[in-house]
Amino acid sequence: MSFGHEVVAVARKEILDNIRSKWVLVLSFIFALLTVVVSYYGSLGSDWQSLDLTIAGMMSLVEFLVSIIGLMLGYAAINGEVESGELLGVLALPLRRLELLLGKFAGLGVVLSSSVLIGFGVGGLIIALNVSGSVDWLMFLGFIFSSVLYGLVFLALSLLWSALLRRRSASMGLSVFSWFFFTMIWGIIILGILMGEMLNSSSFSMPDWYFVVNLLNPMQVYVSLVSLIVPSAAAEMSVVPEWYSAPLLVLVLCVWIVGCLSLAMWRFDRRDV
Amino acid sequence: MVCESCMVESKKVLEVSGLRKSFGSVQAVDDISFSVCSGEVFGLLGPNGAGKTTTLKSMLGLVVPDGGLVKIEGFDGLKDPKNARKNVGFLPERVALYQNLTALQNLELFAQVKGVSLSSCIPLLEQVGLADAMNRRVGGFSKGMLQRLGLARALVGSPSVLVLDEPTGGLDPRGVVEIRNQILELKKSGVTVVLSSHILSEVQAVCDRVAIVSGGRLVAVDTIDNLSSGLAMSPKVVLDVGESLPINIMKDLEAVEGVVGVEMRGCMLHVSCSRASMAGVVCKVVAAGGMIRDMQIIEPSLEEVFMKLTSANGGGK
Repeated sequence: MSFGHEVVAVARKEILDNIRSKWVLVLSFIFALLTVVVSYYGSLGSDWQSLDLTIAGMMSLVEFLVSIIGLMLGYAAINGEVESGELLGVLALPLRRLELLLGKFAGLGVVLSSSVLIGFGVGGLIIALNVSGSVDWLMFLGFIFSSVLYGLVFLALSLLWSALLRRRSASMGLSVFSWFFFTMIWGIIILGILMGEMLNSSSFSMPDWYFVVNLLNPMQVYVSLVSLIVPSAAAEMSVVPEWYSAPLLVLVLCVWIVGCLSLAMWRFDRRDV
Repeated sequence: MVCESCMVESKKVLEVSGLRKSFGSVQAVDDISFSVCSGEVFGLLGPNGAGKTTTLKSMLGLVVPDGGLVKIEGFDGLKDPKNARKNVGFLPERVALYQNLTALQNLELFAQVKGVSLSSCIPLLEQVGLADAMNRRVGGFSKGMLQRLGLARALVGSPSVLVLDEPTGGLDPRGVVEIRNQILELKKSGVTVVLSSHILSEVQAVCDRVAIVSGGRLVAVDTIDNLSSGLAMSPKVVLDVGESLPINIMKDLEAVEGVVGVEMRGCMLHVSCSRASMAGVVCKVVAAGGMIRDMQIIEPSLEEVFMKLTSANGGGK
């Protein structure tokens, strides 16, 4: 099987569509503004914060925002186009459904990545020009890369819902639920279990299962990954066990992406348009 | 090679055999088989809900059939859909294009997927009369413009087989004529066209052969002439005789061999009869003192054929 111009064509369409609808511009502006505001006002307006402290300050916002954007970009990418009829014409072309799905993921991924890259890049540049001392660009790039990868997980998840469900309203609902599940419900469940353990033991330290289970939540994986990349901010964000490593966490996020896309493909391939 | 379907010197480009598809308890397509020859305009005719669109979608792999075989230019449409669709253009019943993109960008997407030059898109837009609107967003297009753009999109890559699902649905009379002329132009250039419609005059105007589908089943496949003669449907002689006929002429005409029906509507005498007995009918009228002011021969219409074939089958679902 060869993938080439078909995937590029679909990806190009997604990029053009999102440029036309001003998504890229709006998202880039939001990310740049977020970075600059957190850096400047994070120090109560007296001086600019360094990049690592800025990252620590905006982690929660990025964690929520990037995941929402990933979900919003993809939740109607398949069932929305089936509902409105565009896919009828496209799928009658000499194009495998896998190529269409990969093209959509690639195109929407470029939209997401370029928004994060441009937004944080511009914000980072403004901070670098204003802070005293050197800037660890490698660390900042690591943070941007992690954020992009994290966004791609939620993009793949939304494509899965879009392939799985017939109606775009249903996939939007499931996307919102997934976001609440990973941000709120997950924490409540885990906290409840931890509290139960605390009541039954005299001394308390985080059990191993907690760190294993956390690998099933991409938000927790992302926070842990950034904690490893930005050490100065680690204390504020997450307790990370010794056996966690950046490659492992990157791998987990990649498994999330591949898993979601594989399931989406399995369903999409058997679906009537 | 003489094709056994249409009995002319051509090859089969599309073969559908034993196609079945159900949605829940509804059998939308039930064992449909037909074949289409190169350069032919083939009509899939049936009432709403008869299974025409499902048949076309199954051919193109847009719905997964429960069984059957589809071959397009020798490629298995179900096992090797990518190659089977390489030389196919499709105009769906409801043309939906990407609203945020321009007309040109919509065509370029199709050209890029088909691996043809992007520069081929502008001549296509000129061909359907949309060259002036090529850089306009499709979101602001009228229904007629969308239909023409949809046709241009189906023609990207110069396909040898064109599948049109209700191509004139919702169009005004001018739009209907434009699309019909486009189909006739394509036929002249040797493109094989498969079109579905429930507008009988449209099918009669452009199709070489028709398949009549009713209740998910194939009722008949043939040329319109063969279908009507197969159903023993006689042509009609219509004579404008004014007030000149004696009353007993009706009985005399019914007695003529080959006459199957006589009816007087005002000053018009309608006689359904075989071709051979037409002269006898005219002689009888003249001999009875009738003054023939005008005469017309009306062939059995597709509408009559369609009604006769589908009424026995219960129509759509």
